[in-house]
Amino acid sequence: MSNEVIEEHISNEYKYGFVSDIEAENAPVGLNENIIRFISHKKNEPEWMLDFRLKAYKHWLTLEEPKWAHVSYAQPKFNDIIYYSAPKQKKKVNSLDEVDPELLKTFEKLGISLEEQKRLSGVESKIAVDAVIDSVSVKTTFKETLAEKGIIFCSFGEAVQEHPDLVRKFMGTVVPYTDNFYAALNSAVFTDGSFCYIPKGVRCPMELSTYFRINAGGTGQFERTLIVADEDAYVSYLEGCTAPKRDENQLHAAIVEIIAHKNAEVKYSTVQNWYPGDKNGNGGIFNFVTKRGICLDSHAKISWTQVETGSAVTWKYPSVILKGDNSVGEFYSVAVTNNYQQADTGTKMIHIGKNSKSTIISKGISAGFSNNSYRGLVRIQKGATGSRNFSQCDSLLMGNQCGAHTFPYIEIKDKSGVVEHEATTSKIGEDQLFYCKQRGIDTEKAIGLIVNGYCKDVLNKLPMEFAVEAQKLLAVSLEGSVG
Amino acid sequence: MITDKLTVTHQFLEELAQHAGKAHFMPSDEIGQALQCLETQGIPNSKNESYKYCNIEAILRKNFKTISGKEQVVSFSEIKKQYAVQEAYNLFIVNGHICTDELEVSSAIKASPIQEISKEISAAHLAQYAKSNTDPMIALNAAYADRGFFLRISQTLDKPLIIHHINSLEGNLFFNTRNLFVIEKNTEAQITEFYYSSNENSFRNTVTEIFVDTQAHIQHVIAQNTGAHNYLFANTQVHQEKQSTYTNHTYTFSGALVRNNLKLDLNGEYTESHLYGLFITQQQQLVDNHTEVNHLKPNGQSNELYKGVVAEKSTAVFNGRIFVERHAQKTNAYQSSKNILLSNDAVVNAKPELEIYANDVKCSHGTSTGKVDENALFYLKARGIGEENARKLLLHAFAYEILEKLPTPFTKEKISTWVDEVLR
Repeated sequence: MSNEVIEEHISNEYKYGFVSDIEAENAPVGLNENIIRFISHKKNEPEWMLDFRLKAYKHWLTLEEPKWAHVSYAQPKFNDIIYYSAPKQKKKVNSLDEVDPELLKTFEKLGISLEEQKRLSGVESKIAVDAVIDSVSVKTTFKETLAEKGIIFCSFGEAVQEHPDLVRKFMGTVVPYTDNFYAALNSAVFTDGSFCYIPKGVRCPMELSTYFRINAGGTGQFERTLIVADEDAYVSYLEGCTAPKRDENQLHAAIVEIIAHKNAEVKYSTVQNWYPGDKNGNGGIFNFVTKRGICLDSHAKISWTQVETGSAVTWKYPSVILKGDNSVGEFYSVAVTNNYQQADTGTKMIHIGKNSKSTIISKGISAGFSNNSYRGLVRIQKGATGSRNFSQCDSLLMGNQCGAHTFPYIEIKDKSGVVEHEATTSKIGEDQLFYCKQRGIDTEKAIGLIVNGYCKDVLNKLPMEFAVEAQKLLAVSLEGSVG
Repeated sequence: MITDKLTVTHQFLEELAQHAGKAHFMPSDEIGQALQCLETQGIPNSKNESYKYCNIEAILRKNFKTISGKEQVVSFSEIKKQYAVQEAYNLFIVNGHICTDELEVSSAIKASPIQEISKEISAAHLAQYAKSNTDPMIALNAAYADRGFFLRISQTLDKPLIIHHINSLEGNLFFNTRNLFVIEKNTEAQITEFYYSSNENSFRNTVTEIFVDTQAHIQHVIAQNTGAHNYLFANTQVHQEKQSTYTNHTYTFSGALVRNNLKLDLNGEYTESHLYGLFITQQQQLVDNHTEVNHLKPNGQSNELYKGVVAEKSTAVFNGRIFVERHAQKTNAYQSSKNILLSNDAVVNAKPELEIYANDVKCSHGTSTGKVDENALFYLKARGIGEENARKLLLHAFAYEILEKLPTPFTKEKISTWVDEVLR
């Protein structure tokens, strides 16, 4: 790859890097018990929630930051972060007219319309959106339509107020606050997020979506998502995220918990596009996220699909605990790193139930000076008879300054388990390029074509709207990366 | 936590020091560095990433809290009678000491105790390929090795060389063995190391450094059948110069613990390496194979195939790592590991790793674990072969893919009988 092409590629702008001028209300900088009390008070939380937070905080104090990932970065200064920042607005928004127009503009710019025009114009596919800016959820659309079916889809804060029993029953059951350093931190200071409950036998008629955006400077974003699908329920859930360009590294430490009961299916898709930092590796988001789902009972299914293009440092392992017999876990991932980005991402599939099955397809693309690692665990517990796993991890290298790594852990304790793992690393084939060029497709487009083909297995799993966006994002992320 | 760990290390080192002197043939700054490494890292336990499934500290605490063993004197003519192979050069290593009446086995082979190596050889090779700071067990060896042998091959061998490792001990003993092989330019050789079984409770921590010079082509077979009470830690660190070929065959049958650390540095262009491994484990054995192939120069090729049959309450670990340096372009590296589990109490832990910094490469790894193929079993049964025999046949066929790579007929025959014994 020639230098000028790399240059051209690197100079690509991050188009979501604007800052919105929204008045915000911040908590004082720093982290201590009072800040946690402040957050809890601001959110008008019941006593048990505050207790949970304080317990998590006390546990967090005993922990050390994990060092095992194949990434290097300066440890965030946890006392210099603002843990609560909310756009100032009236207490409760009843219609869109009452939402700060600057805010609406922000989401307009991001290409997410909070107005429910889509429904009026008769477009078939409908998406309900919960928009979270900095620490609070701004607006959830389509709430009423969903409520008719008994589906609860609201911000986490609202759920604590209105459905405390459900939240209390499920929160922390998949990712306990003792799970890891960042999970403990999140449990102590999380501010908002989404909550979603699909009752027994209900098939959610539209995609549910949450849009996260960090806006204020000096803040960290700590959200929590909890998705519960009761027996025979189905839901497809989407998540998107962006942040403004800043010189500092902002911390994003989220928790996502998914609980699938008997015969339930949850499909979780995310396009992660946090600000990745500039071409010299300055700034960007630290994305340290704990995502885990549990198939509680038989025939439950959880599927993770992720397209990772953003963040300076990513540390993320969406996992599935296959507890129920015949349960299914899936993980489809495309991770693109460029410039000085670092990603250490993968999945864990823990087979406990009999005949549980899991599939892992991971496609990594590294360009520039970046490092991209797949780290995964497949464990077949004793007694998980007839369990099956197939994993495929491919890496594509663009340029000779980047790295691609694979660290799969495979632990098998049952003789009837069958586990297969394959991984390859290579560059874009000269012959593939030649073939395209010979047919009049220029190098740039040929690369896009080949990369899209390479990622097809994963992109196919995304809901339509997301797939289109993800394809465009891939093209933009890799523009100029002639291998 | 850390202080706890270091107390265990200190106690063990004190105990060891009473039975073994420092490795005086080692460069003195190397011993200092090794002790420093031990001091900071301690004896590895399951908290160390590369010892996750192989807790050395626990083994030492349990079985080698006191070291009370004695070496027994054996008669050279007797072992010669028992083990010598007609159609090969034979080298006998008893309790880690070289034991032979003629040190020049042939004009092409020079063998001597490690303590007697020349200053030039020591400066050029000793502790150059096995670095103390990479592994506390290498550090332990560098500081306390009191035995071992040096082997130099200066011409192409007309017969294979067989190295017989025999243990003759009483009580429990921990010892560190340091070996150095220097394979000179333009030579070809087949070297086979047999580790025979014995009944005593011993822990051998072996480090073998192998230097393969330009255009040398080496077949190296290591067959371990050390018996149910033996602990063997075999560290083999290979350094390859350009256009050389090094082929390693590692077979593991019995042993309470067998840990193989095999590291290859492909330090020249157009080098070629092959790694074949077969382990058949039973009872409560732990077999841990760690391989590391470092492609440091362009145009290197490596190919790895490890297979395992894991039975009863045994545990097998495979950790294969391929590393490709930034400028090691045009590297081809392949790795495959396949395991069959025969029991629900058996465990397989596999971790194939790729760490790649060059873009014009082709690297892949694959690993699969499962049971004996039901369809194949049915096919054989349909042809009148009983279940037991059919299963055995399939396991033999599974093992044969590795066995057929063996270079010399004698080695193949000997190892095949060991395979038959364990699969019985």
